[in-house]
Amino acid sequence: MGEEFLVPIGPQHPALKEPENFMLTVDGEYVVDVRARIGYNHRGIEKAMEDRTYIQNLYIVERVCGICSDSHMTCYVQCVEEAMDLEIPERAEYIRVIVAELERIHSHLLWLGVAAHEIGFDTLFFYIWRDREVVMDLLELISGNRVNYAMPTIGGVRRDITPEMEKELRKGLKILYERTEYYKQICLNEKTILQRAVGVGILTPRQAVELCAVGPTLRASGIKSDVRADDPYIAYDRIPFEVVTYDWCDVAARVMVRIDEVLEAIKMIEYCLDHMPRGPIRVKVPVMMKVPEGEVVSRVEAPRGELIHYLVSRGGIKPYRYKIRSPTLGNIPAVCEMLKGGYIADVPIVLAAIDPCFSCTDRIVFYDVGKDKRWVWTHEQLRRYGIEFYKRNRGEVR
Amino acid sequence: MSWEPVITALEIVLFPGFLFIFCYALFCEWVDRRIFARLQNRYGPLYTGWKGILQPLADFIKLLAKEDITPGAADKAGFTATPILFLTIPMTLMFLVPVLGPRAIAAFEGDLIVVFFMTTLINLVVFIGAWSATNRFTVVGGMRSALQMLSYEIPLGLAALGPAVLAKTLCISDIAQWEVEAWKSFLAHPTPLGVVTAVVLAFGFALFTLGELAELEKIPFDIPEAETEIVAGWHTEYSGKKLALIRLGMDVELIFGASLMTALFLGGPSGPWPIPPAVWFIVKTLLCVVLISTLRALFARFRIDQVVRWMWKYYVPLAVVYMIAIQALAVVI
Repeated sequence: MGEEFLVPIGPQHPALKEPENFMLTVDGEYVVDVRARIGYNHRGIEKAMEDRTYIQNLYIVERVCGICSDSHMTCYVQCVEEAMDLEIPERAEYIRVIVAELERIHSHLLWLGVAAHEIGFDTLFFYIWRDREVVMDLLELISGNRVNYAMPTIGGVRRDITPEMEKELRKGLKILYERTEYYKQICLNEKTILQRAVGVGILTPRQAVELCAVGPTLRASGIKSDVRADDPYIAYDRIPFEVVTYDWCDVAARVMVRIDEVLEAIKMIEYCLDHMPRGPIRVKVPVMMKVPEGEVVSRVEAPRGELIHYLVSRGGIKPYRYKIRSPTLGNIPAVCEMLKGGYIADVPIVLAAIDPCFSCTDRIVFYDVGKDKRWVWTHEQLRRYGIEFYKRNRGEVR
Repeated sequence: MSWEPVITALEIVLFPGFLFIFCYALFCEWVDRRIFARLQNRYGPLYTGWKGILQPLADFIKLLAKEDITPGAADKAGFTATPILFLTIPMTLMFLVPVLGPRAIAAFEGDLIVVFFMTTLINLVVFIGAWSATNRFTVVGGMRSALQMLSYEIPLGLAALGPAVLAKTLCISDIAQWEVEAWKSFLAHPTPLGVVTAVVLAFGFALFTLGELAELEKIPFDIPEAETEIVAGWHTEYSGKKLALIRLGMDVELIFGASLMTALFLGGPSGPWPIPPAVWFIVKTLLCVVLISTLRALFARFRIDQVVRWMWKYYVPLAVVYMIAIQALAVVI
């Protein structure tokens, strides 16, 4: 057969929890080429943020992603605090770390379960998700919510961690540590898992750097890069931790990186609980606060990798421009490279191995199908184009 | 007037015929789902009937009532014929294994060969159904099903031939009978040779179970319907009545596999205590179903290339070694 045989993965596909499209050119069971197409889940969050005050934006930015909601929030409040030159109390910083690390645990365990499901190991999937309930309960205990914790706020955090919570936390973390150790042993020893993970979805360190991979995907290729260590924010400069790297460059390495990060996160939380200073958890800021003119970039290590927020303020009560670069976007070129040369059967697990979160990723890129050209406009150009367009087509477009 | 034809008719229609097969298949699906769920720390079906026992029936009826869609591009004949054949073939085969007594309803010399011919036919039907649905996922699923068959079929056949060679017959009911006799005489006069035979047959049972897992497309061999890769595999396009028939067909295949395991290796529907044979049949097949659902909770899914390679590298040679051992035993006995 000379012609191409295309297998679409998505926008609706059981392996993807969110709509995204990957067109695979296959030759029998081999994947020859991959074209990713994003943009099925564009929600206009960045634009919506320009229309709301900084406090209102807290709620929007939290809803960028259901799983790494706290990372987005931390990144956002950091941005605003930096622009306002606000110092937050030390206890608030520690509490932010605790919530961020709990979120990392919950996200990685969720991912592990999904990965087990992708390779058809449903038993492991259900076991991991059962144990994930422990960390969900802890998050609910601290914040009152299982997802969208609404903990960070501009100037600190919203709720304190009481001694009773601390006790529960330690108890839960102990269970989590034991269970995660157990899953680590399973993933290292179970033949059927290794068979599906070792040597699958190879991403060499060079490719990883060239294609701008981030987070666990990058660290699984042996590159030691973690915003928490490279550019410490909140209290990470005071907490000892190891950046987990594996140099196997395959899916197995990505699994191990995440498991070890869970273990590391548990140790970090315990350290935080031991060394958390007493004191206030928040400094007061006015509800209709004004942010001085300027541009701020803030980086956070979300569970999926480096998350970048960019704020332009023209001195009002609303941001002039807000830009979010979520980690999944950084990993999409890398995942296309990983898929090439593999089997169709490996597509789900390789795709899942970057822990994709498409709803945070989607944005507009202009693409002229006829001319096969791609370009990006600046904000100003886009604005002008919009005005022109509506002038030209007045009355026709609603 | 003789009652013979009436009884035969009742046997075919009611017990152990169609009605029994239907009910027992659904019951086994429930057992399988419950055990699979409990092993995964879930509850499984819980609400319909006593502990969800009617759930498979409810699913079946629900599917019957759902809209039945035939894709515009599909080949109508093949697409329609597949679910019917997929159900009727294993159902027919159920008449060849002994349930109610030492002899099956339709037992004859050489029915083991027919069984193997027909199970191959099931795979062919799957392939035709997959192909005529003209969907990318079904085509890939059908191909995988065919590939998988190429790798497990020969060793599965060899494993089943083991007891046949020792019993010197190709009739399933006679094989089961022979097994009972052999076991009785072994208990009366234990010999080293008998121990060796039992060990070899146990090994054959393990090989056969493995082959059955592949045949029934259970984890780790559920490659033709790997949902995270190719949606529902070869039956992606089926819905409504057709899907109901396919699902029932899978259940019947499951109990057929279990009853074949029972008849070939566990002595069929008989046992040491004077309990009706049908009860023995149910006890033994249920054990086999439990074994299958336990095994499928333990593994991750293989990749198709891994299965083919692995089967030809280990499974086939093991089956050949087993066959040599059986031949040697047959000569000695």
